[in-house]
Amino acid sequence: MKRAAHLLAAGFGAVVWTSAAVAADLPSFNHVTVTVVGDAGQNMEALNKYADDFTKAGITIKQVGATFTGLYDKLKTSFVAGSSDYDMVIFYPSYIGDFAGNGYLAPLDEYMKKQPAAIWDPKMDEVMPPYREIYCKWEGKTYALPYDGDVLVLYYRKDLFNNPDEKAAFQKKYGRELAPPATWKEWLQVAEFFTRKAGDTLAGQKLSRPFYGAAEYGARGFSYGWFLSRFASSDGIYFDENMNPEINTDAAVAGLQNMVDTLKFSPPDVLSYGYEELKNAFLNGDLAMVVQWSDVGKKTADPQLSKIVGKAGFAVVPGTEANGKVVHKAPMPVGRVLAVSAKSKNKEAAYWVAKYLSLDKSPITVAANWSGQDPYRLSHFTDTSHYKFPDEASVKEYVAAVEENLKNGFPDLNIPGAAQYIDALDVAVIKALSGEADPKTALDGVAEDWKGITQRLGADTQKKFWNAALESYRAAGLLK
Amino acid sequence: MDRTKHRDRTFARFMVGPAVTLLFLVTIGPLLFSLAVSFTNLQFSTPQPMRWVGIDNYSTLLFNDSRFLSAMGRTLVFVLAGVVIQTLLGFFIASLLLKVQRYRAFLLGPILIPSVISSVVAAWQGRMIFNASYGPLNDVLAHIGIKGPAWLALPQTALVSVFLTDTWQWTPFLALIILAALQSQPLELLEAARLDGARGWSMFRRITLPLILPVAGVGVLLRGVDLFKTFDLVYILTQGGPGNSSETLTFLTYLQGFKFFNPSYASAMSFIQLIVITIVAKSYLGLMNKRGAI
Repeated sequence: MKRAAHLLAAGFGAVVWTSAAVAADLPSFNHVTVTVVGDAGQNMEALNKYADDFTKAGITIKQVGATFTGLYDKLKTSFVAGSSDYDMVIFYPSYIGDFAGNGYLAPLDEYMKKQPAAIWDPKMDEVMPPYREIYCKWEGKTYALPYDGDVLVLYYRKDLFNNPDEKAAFQKKYGRELAPPATWKEWLQVAEFFTRKAGDTLAGQKLSRPFYGAAEYGARGFSYGWFLSRFASSDGIYFDENMNPEINTDAAVAGLQNMVDTLKFSPPDVLSYGYEELKNAFLNGDLAMVVQWSDVGKKTADPQLSKIVGKAGFAVVPGTEANGKVVHKAPMPVGRVLAVSAKSKNKEAAYWVAKYLSLDKSPITVAANWSGQDPYRLSHFTDTSHYKFPDEASVKEYVAAVEENLKNGFPDLNIPGAAQYIDALDVAVIKALSGEADPKTALDGVAEDWKGITQRLGADTQKKFWNAALESYRAAGLLK
Repeated sequence: MDRTKHRDRTFARFMVGPAVTLLFLVTIGPLLFSLAVSFTNLQFSTPQPMRWVGIDNYSTLLFNDSRFLSAMGRTLVFVLAGVVIQTLLGFFIASLLLKVQRYRAFLLGPILIPSVISSVVAAWQGRMIFNASYGPLNDVLAHIGIKGPAWLALPQTALVSVFLTDTWQWTPFLALIILAALQSQPLELLEAARLDGARGWSMFRRITLPLILPVAGVGVLLRGVDLFKTFDLVYILTQGGPGNSSETLTFLTYLQGFKFFNPSYASAMSFIQLIVITIVAKSYLGLMNKRGAI
């Protein structure tokens, strides 16, 4: 009885200690309102989920939502007008050069060094290098904390890839074992192999509708990301050190040709496929494989969204072979980071909210289905307890694939004017996909457009910004 | 007498003053500012100081910007096709309605529904209808043995899809205006023409057309200007794609102004559009005037 009482007391003590520790991790602000702007919906849901914690810290959160495509316009308009409407901003890190380079954001280094570390240190050393060095820093200073580690991942139907009949047929046709494609050349073979008409047989089942080997992001907006996955793996980089475009090299043309060739094995309306359509085609069971953002992996395991629960495999985005070695690069389009507006009157509180979301609550957020956030810290790959997959092996496979792809992460262009450069590339990629131009003509056009944009924005300034970006690429280990 | 006149003038100025000031502040002022900006290099992508560049933006647009010139050509074709086809269809519908006596008002309601719904709703509806895999249009075509294209995904059909949606939405508006014009024709004049032996095409060309032109012509002009400004349908249906195959001038101006934050370049684009619309509208009104329609 005495022992039980001691255990109870010890347990009670532990609970009190833990609560005290959690309480100690929260700062105490004096009824501060922090206005947060971001793309509305699942990407701001964390602010609702952890609202009680903010209240305990003396912070009231006011949310301002924008549309996914309208966020940049909203932020830029507010920044250009010099308004102090927003304290904390959630934005896509390709705009960090634009926002930090124009002085719209407050540097965070001072806040990050504050004591106690448990409250203020965002532990940036455990953030995956491409995110930490390229997406959160500008000209050596930290302007943002990571929030959403978007990266492209290869998804495939492991039930089909493991089917004995399909394996045998593939072996017979291509003389090698059926496996997730390691290179873009293999990607085309696998895509061709799995493309079937209605009435054909797939894994022993007669198909009631056509089945396709693969699909691409064909709609305007992010097609360029799917091209970059080919371009970057052939050691492509946007410009040389003198800001001459390198987007139309022979390797780049070959990469775009590979993307064009994939369309032969894709649904007929693939050029209208954005994120939703591409995701749904895979989750509906209409595709053998797809390259998509990392959040789609979590959705494959949700029976409300997916008809292929437990059937999805996760792997590294295919690469390009050179000198007997396959180089993999996984583009990181979109993503989200958290920053503090230079005009904010509540910078400290805004910074803490950002840090709390970026670090303290992030293991829950990145694993949850209610959020659109994806892993970006080493701890997100070691502590897998929050992920919801049908089995532990799937969790491990998913986490390993995302981690490996992030290690090979290739950034969006993030210098000022990025929106213009990327739009020109995106339009050209779609022109090639739709047959309006052949890949070489399309990419030559991009190179010319890029030269024009650079001239218009000021060649010297742009060169300076690009060299700063190259420094961050080196710091992230992307360049030697 | 002079003193009274002077007092009246002062009073009139006093009364009109606030309205003119307001008009200047919200319309003329920004327009002049925008015109001034179009002669600068103002952009918000990089922290460069603003400076005058003369007509650089205009000359780049007119002689070096193939994307702008393509958008201009595309927009003019879109306007021309829209005006011609929608007017013909509108006339056809109006003629049918004119023959219906008893249920005309009842029929007009549903016919006008497309014109009263928001363009955003019409565009979303279009997105569903034109969906290549699940859309009803291709389903209907499949039933009659035609394999429908991926309407929104092909450069050859994307702008056609925008055009079809616009035609579906706005033809009833023109039909209504033409119907009103047809109804207002003096019956005695028509009767007299018939007695004189006018029939068919000669009746239409010599009697009906001159009579309906003053009203229908204004409708056509409004439609033409509206077609020139098409933005929402493009934004929702195609985002200007695939590539830039359905990029209209207004959409490209939006991209320059609010995506790339090049207000100087976007302003120059807007003024070129203004000049083109003014020339087209003036020519059209001149033609109408020549025919005695206005």
